[in-house]
Amino acid sequence: MIFILLAVIFFILRIIPGDPVLAILGGKAPIEVIQQKRHELGLDKPVIVQFFDYIRGVITGNLGTSTLTNRSVFEELKDRFPATLELTIFSFLIVLVIGLFWGAESAWRKDEGLDIVARVYSLLLYAIPVFWFGLILQLIFASYLRWLPVGGRISAVTNFKIVTGLYVLDALLSKDWRGLLDVLRYLTLPSITLGLVISSVFLRMVRNNTVLMLSKDFVKAARARGLRKKIVLYGHAVRNAFVPIFTIMGMEFAALLAGAILTETTFSWPGIGSYLVMKIRYRDFPAIQGTIVFFALFIVVISIIIDIVNALVDPRVRY
Amino acid sequence: MVKNKSFLSERIGEFVRDLTGSGTGRLTIVGSSILIFFIVLAIFAPYIAPYDPTEKVGLSLEPPSRQFWFGTDNLGRDILSRVIYGSRIALSISFMGVAIAFLIGVPLGLFSGYLGGWVDRILTLIMDAMYIFPGLVLAIAIAAVLGPGVINISLSIAVVYAPTYFRIIRNQVASVKSELYVEAARALGAKNWEILLKYIFPNVLPSVVVVLSMNLADALMTEAGLSFLGLGIAPPTPDWGFDLSSGQRFVLSRAWWGILFPGLAIVFAALGFSMFSEGINELLNPTIRERR
Repeated sequence: MIFILLAVIFFILRIIPGDPVLAILGGKAPIEVIQQKRHELGLDKPVIVQFFDYIRGVITGNLGTSTLTNRSVFEELKDRFPATLELTIFSFLIVLVIGLFWGAESAWRKDEGLDIVARVYSLLLYAIPVFWFGLILQLIFASYLRWLPVGGRISAVTNFKIVTGLYVLDALLSKDWRGLLDVLRYLTLPSITLGLVISSVFLRMVRNNTVLMLSKDFVKAARARGLRKKIVLYGHAVRNAFVPIFTIMGMEFAALLAGAILTETTFSWPGIGSYLVMKIRYRDFPAIQGTIVFFALFIVVISIIIDIVNALVDPRVRY
Repeated sequence: MVKNKSFLSERIGEFVRDLTGSGTGRLTIVGSSILIFFIVLAIFAPYIAPYDPTEKVGLSLEPPSRQFWFGTDNLGRDILSRVIYGSRIALSISFMGVAIAFLIGVPLGLFSGYLGGWVDRILTLIMDAMYIFPGLVLAIAIAAVLGPGVINISLSIAVVYAPTYFRIIRNQVASVKSELYVEAARALGAKNWEILLKYIFPNVLPSVVVVLSMNLADALMTEAGLSFLGLGIAPPTPDWGFDLSSGQRFVLSRAWWGILFPGLAIVFAALGFSMFSEGINELLNPTIRERR
């Protein structure tokens, strides 16, 4: 699967009309310069040779060299990955908390106040583009109320030892409480933006699956035994609704990653998404291709993890 | 592997139906009214828009006033006019993107499903790989190579949605081709292409018509995302996503009008498309209607 995904990316970027060299140099470059650039990028070799060069590169962690900075694309991505990871983890936490609790409660009291509010919420947030939502939050909380910073990841004055690149974790490790607060302030708007937008679908799925479970006999039995609502709802219904929910979670993570590109751009968050957008602006093709490959690998890894966890949660998946 | 991607429009439609608690009728009517509204805006933009969308007609960043209902942007252009003209790009790219996806995905699906064998296996693998990739990332990659322009952006969007058509058509063809009427046609001496075009194609077509209308909302959102990232249409052509990204630079100047209005246009158009497609879906698929 990984191989095919890589092959597809390679051929899409190669086959479609449009010459990266011309795009880098502009239409009026002299022919020698074009040829030299082509040679530099290895584009004068036969396509099939290029393909195997590329596959070998991916396996050995060599994603090429940025034409803009002359640095290894892999190194650059490694520098920026923690920022994206931090953003997605926090957004995902928001998605989980909202989705699971609100979804479960809505299912419990189907068609009542909370459930109806949940539907309006899901509807509105799903039709809203994530970057626009981010802009609106920026306007309200950063521009008008001035409670939170408009973008970026950390203040210039904050200074703690960077170990993992996940600033929240680093601040905790160096026991820099003021730094932690600073980092969290920067993290709030982007992760709320991304988290809320993605949560709309998740909430909906949790609710529907839980409603389905609540009508099952084992839930009725649990209620008949006089178990408390908390145990019936979370211990029985939600827990059994978890297998489909988990699969959806994998899908949502991919959506989260795509949403991260837009969110990072909105909030100047120095992660992989804004890296990709910047490289596109400068037509740095090795870097663009490398980033896309990186995304592909990340998604494959996530779906493998989901499959494994699914098998752990639900013995029926193992056979 | 993650399968079973559901469509934005499907979900929105579901929400809306739950909200209104009404049947197909009202949903289709509301959806198509919004759609018609935007189509009229797009076609008659020069008559409706009060100003030329690319001309400086006022001061820079004027707040909404009686003269400029939606205010002006940093270059002194009328935002209302830009929003009206923006519907042209938004609609034409969504329609074209989906149409191209249809034209790529459907024939490939037909052949793949009908021929079977290794051609089928390879095509299916490729399409599946494209399918699990987040649409926006794929579109970004292609748009980055192709560069800006209506056709190029439509193509990038088409590549994202083509696998959807391929999968549906392929699976349908694979199951339909062993049906009795196909056997009968073959026994009567029909050629392969005749069987494909006259017998199989009409039978599998309805299933994708629904998807076609559903994809429109997704395509609209993808287009907005692409142009927000600067991958859309070359300025100064009015485009909602692009206008949002230029509005973003003035967040701290509190120029809310440059952000609010283009965004609202995207939200309304997306809602309109979704409601419309959901209505169509129920009209064309009586099975769904019965289930509810």
